[in-house]
This record gives sequence, C-alpha cells and structure tokens, in this order.
Amino acid sequence: MSSHHEDPAAEQTSPGDDPSVSSTCEADSAVITVTIGATVPTGFEHTAAEEIKEKIGADARISKDRGRIYFPITTDKLFQVHLLRSVDNLFVVVDEYDRYQFKESKEEMLMELQQLASKLPWKNALKVWELNRTLKKKKGHRKGGNAARAKPSGETGDVAAADAEQQAPPLETPPAEADAKTESAPDSEEAAAEAKLTKFRVTCNRAGDKHSFSSNEAARDFGGAVQEFFQWKADMTKFDIEVLLNIHNEEVVIGIALTEESLHRRNISHFGPTTLRSTLCYGMLRLCKPQVSDVILDPMCGTGAIPLEGAIEFNSSFYVAGDNNDMAVNRTVNNICHIQKRRAGKGSTPGLPIDTVQWDICNLPIKTSSVDIIITDMPFGKRMGSRKKNWDLYPSCLREMARVCRPGSGKAVLLTQDKKCFAKAISRMGGLWRKVLTVWVNVGGLHAGVYLLKRTSATFGQTPEDVHEPRGAADTQLEDRNDKELS
Amino acid sequence: MKLLTHNMLTSHVKGVTKGYPLLIKATEVKVNEVDFNPQFVSRMIPKLEWSALVQAADQLGHRQDLPGDLVPDYEKNEDFLKKVHRVLLEVEVLEGCLQCPESGREFPISRGIPNMLLNEDEV
Repeated sequence: MSSHHEDPAAEQTSPGDDPSVSSTCEADSAVITVTIGATVPTGFEHTAAEEIKEKIGADARISKDRGRIYFPITTDKLFQVHLLRSVDNLFVVVDEYDRYQFKESKEEMLMELQQLASKLPWKNALKVWELNRTLKKKKGHRKGGNAARAKPSGETGDVAAADAEQQAPPLETPPAEADAKTESAPDSEEAAAEAKLTKFRVTCNRAGDKHSFSSNEAARDFGGAVQEFFQWKADMTKFDIEVLLNIHNEEVVIGIALTEESLHRRNISHFGPTTLRSTLCYGMLRLCKPQVSDVILDPMCGTGAIPLEGAIEFNSSFYVAGDNNDMAVNRTVNNICHIQKRRAGKGSTPGLPIDTVQWDICNLPIKTSSVDIIITDMPFGKRMGSRKKNWDLYPSCLREMARVCRPGSGKAVLLTQDKKCFAKAISRMGGLWRKVLTVWVNVGGLHAGVYLLKRTSATFGQTPEDVHEPRGAADTQLEDRNDKELS
Repeated sequence: MKLLTHNMLTSHVKGVTKGYPLLIKATEVKVNEVDFNPQFVSRMIPKLEWSALVQAADQLGHRQDLPGDLVPDYEKNEDFLKKVHRVLLEVEVLEGCLQCPESGREFPISRGIPNMLLNEDEV
C-alpha cells in the first residue's frame, strides 16, 4: 500500500470541534469507507484474513508488522467487525505511512510528531469512533473501563460483542453529547460538565532499531499536540478516546481504538494459570476445519478455553473437554455454565454441545478410533509441567491420541512451546501421525508452535510405534540433525 | 455427562477386556435445551453404538419410545432425529456413577463430571 496523506486543508476537523457533540449536518448519515486495523495472534494473520473475507467480504492486507491486518469497510457494515472471533483488538485508521522518513535527531522527530497531530485527517475516523460507541451501547455493553478484567469468581468484564447470535442493530446518526460516559446518575450539573469534556490517551507501540526516540517520548509529545489541537483532557486510565500511534520500522499508523479491552478473554470467567486467549483458540480451531458431527477432544483442557470456543463458534461438532486436574475440570464446568447463563439471559438456547470428563491423557477411557479431531495446548516446560516430564509425556500422549483418533480421517492440532521435545516425539511416530503444517505463534511472550497433524490410515496396535523401541543409530542421526535445526 | 459422551467412554481398568458400555447409576438427572441440528444427528448416528445408547437412556428412565434397532431411512425422519437429539445432547447425568461391567469398579459423577482416574494399582 502506498503512502497516502490527505491534503490538510481539505478534510479537516478544526480545533475546538468536540467530536462528542453531534452536528446536524447531512453528511453524518452518509456512508463512508474507512480502513480498520485489527491485532490478531501472530501466526494467525491468514486465518483472520479468511474470517474477514467470510464474514465481511473484504480483502484483508497483512502488515509487515506481525500480528496486524487491515481491511476496508463501509460504515453501514461496521457492526460486523464485532462478530469477528479471530481479532484481539480493533481500531480505525486515521492515516498510514508506508515509508516514513524519520528525522535524525530526537528533538526534530518529536517536533514533527507534534505538528503531525494538527495535519491528520481525523474527521472520518472520529465519525467511526462515535458510531462504534453507539453500537456498543445498543448491545448493552457494560463499560467497566480498565478495571473490569475477569476475576476468578466474579463476573466477566463483558466485552463489546463476540456473541455469534447477536443480530445487527440498525444504524442511527450519532446521539448528542449527553451519551458520554456517565454510568450512574450523579449530580446533573457536574455530570453535564464532565460529559462535555472528552478524555483521551495516546498509546504508542514502537518497534525497530533505527528510531532516535522511545515510545513513551513519542506518546507524550504526540499526545500533547493532540490535546492542544482538540482541547481534550488527557487521562491515562479513564478515557473516552484511545489514540494509537503504531511505529514499526518505517511504517507509521495512527488510529483510534474501537475496542476497550482486548476481545481475547471473552469466554472465560474462571481463569487458570495458563488460560489461552480465545482468539488463539479460534485460530487453532479454524486450522482443523471442524465438520458437522465431528467428535472433538481436548484431553488436556485446562480451563476449557479451546473446546468452549469451539462449542460456540463451530457448534455443529461435539466437544469433550478433559483434564486430570480437579481444579481444571471444575473451572471448565464453571466457564461453560457461565456462558450458558449468558445465553439464556439473551434469550438463546442455553445448552452447548460440550461435556467435561476427568481423566489421564496417557490412559484415556475412550473407545479406540472414536474421535475425529484432537485439539489441545500441550504442557509447556516453563509454565506447566517440566522439560523432563515432557520428555516422557509427549510420546505417551501422542500414542494414546493416535489410538482414539479415527485412522485415515482423523486430525490433531497441538500447541506446544517445547518444540524440541515435540519434534523428537513426532519423528518416531511416522506410522501413526503425519505432520501437515506448523504455525509459529507467540503465547504469553513465549515462542510456540501449533502443529497440524493427520492420522495415518494404519490401525493402532500394528505399527512399530505402538511398542517402545530402543534407540538405534538411525534415530540418533535424525535427532542430532533435528537438534541442530531447532537450536 | 451427556449420553453422547457416555457412548464413547469405556472402562480401562487393567486386565478388563469387556469394559464397554459402562453401566449408569444416576441420582440426579437434568434435561437441558440444546439447539437441534438434524444434520448433526443423522451424521452422528453411524458413529454410535446404538444398543449402548438405548440401554443408557433406559437406565436413566429417559428412553421414551426410542426403538431397539435403527429405523431405515432415519436421515429424513425428523421426529426420530429429534428424539435421538434429546437423548444424545439434552439429557445429562449430574450426580451418580458409572460402573465397569466386568470389574464392578465405580467411577463417580459429580457436577456432571465423571471421574475416570484410576488408582496406581489399577493401571
């Protein structure tokens, strides 16, 4: 995409215009096209692009800045972005520069950022921000601000949407300023004054080694200029508008956030120590393409994030969530109940195609060849389990998974950070599992792999892998080579 | 525990060869509404052990008029599919236990979760 910078004289929001005051200009109801930016789990950019094509019909562009994709949308279809399950955060692009020429010195650079604030084409982006606020209010979105992170025993901070049953609300012209953030009913005069004043913050993400400034400095100076220009009030925690300044090497994108909290915790109200983001769960599920009546097992389910996402979003399959740990199975059931109550509250059929069992992954109480897909987050050496345990655990798991999985048609999607251990275990299982592809992802700062495997048509119990084999010379050579590749 | 899950569960106590199907002794059963998808049901039926399903529904007193043998052309029989749907997905055992038909070993069910963990000496 080429650099595109609008003529500052043309579409300009003049200083003093408070976007929370609606004008009665006819142009407000006109449909405009904007570019939406979405952050997605790195490694699943293509999956997200697929979902966007499917649900919105737009062609998404994947940024060089990993984990970000962009797509065009018309304002009459804006509500659709809240139906996306593969995105963590959404923002509307104010402007983007493909090859920004940064000034050499810090002082000059920061000065330039300040000047930039007054030259940007804010108008359309602000309209979209306003429209988005209206959409969120209509969905009965509970604005808990930043404090509403899900607590172990309390309610979820209900995030802006993501319920597949939600029908699109009809669009209206943006309401007047009285709609600004007033949760309870405080004194009317104070409230009115508070409401009129728009609060904002700037968040800067900077990556690259050729910049003379830090993200904090950029946020501060750019933010100062934005404040000056719009006469908004800066507030780092209780803000109405979050302006994003994303700098990745030479790519600069300025945007306005459309999501308050990350959407990635949407299903889970009862967290465990290693609960996976729902967006990552969705990406993994898309990878295995669940079909109607597929039996899908997560034999190390933790708090049930993956099967629960599946039961909601790919609901023509049946999910069995299992774990050996007491707390895990109980949390899974709690999470399922929470979602069912929420669905009942919205008038949907509460029941979900999911069940929970307590079991040992190495000795599954499941009939041979009765499962279509196995999808799970395998214990990482650092966060759960240990490197030494994984050494023994992975081969046993893979064997047992191969036993219950249907030969020929069965699949497995396995997430693990212990790539070395996994590669070693899988290299000895060629008779049962074939590696189809690997997606490299980032889980809580750790580099991990999502492996898509196909179950061979070999019957379990008749291949050499079913029996423990002593290490031969051939094995050692293969392992040495693999070790070199992975280090 | 739904009966679809029960249809896949088997006893894996050491030495047991006839650990399927597990007998159900339920003390609390609930019926939960789940969206009906006829395609899901008709494609699931061939994957099931039909007699085990009927037996399990019977043990819970929820068999209603489910036939002992599969009716021909069930794919287009919506009434039949709805009955199967109910038994597979809507009837749930909340409390009780599952019993291995060969060894008699009982696996407790609590809050709808069957605990299939074995003791060290049973593995």
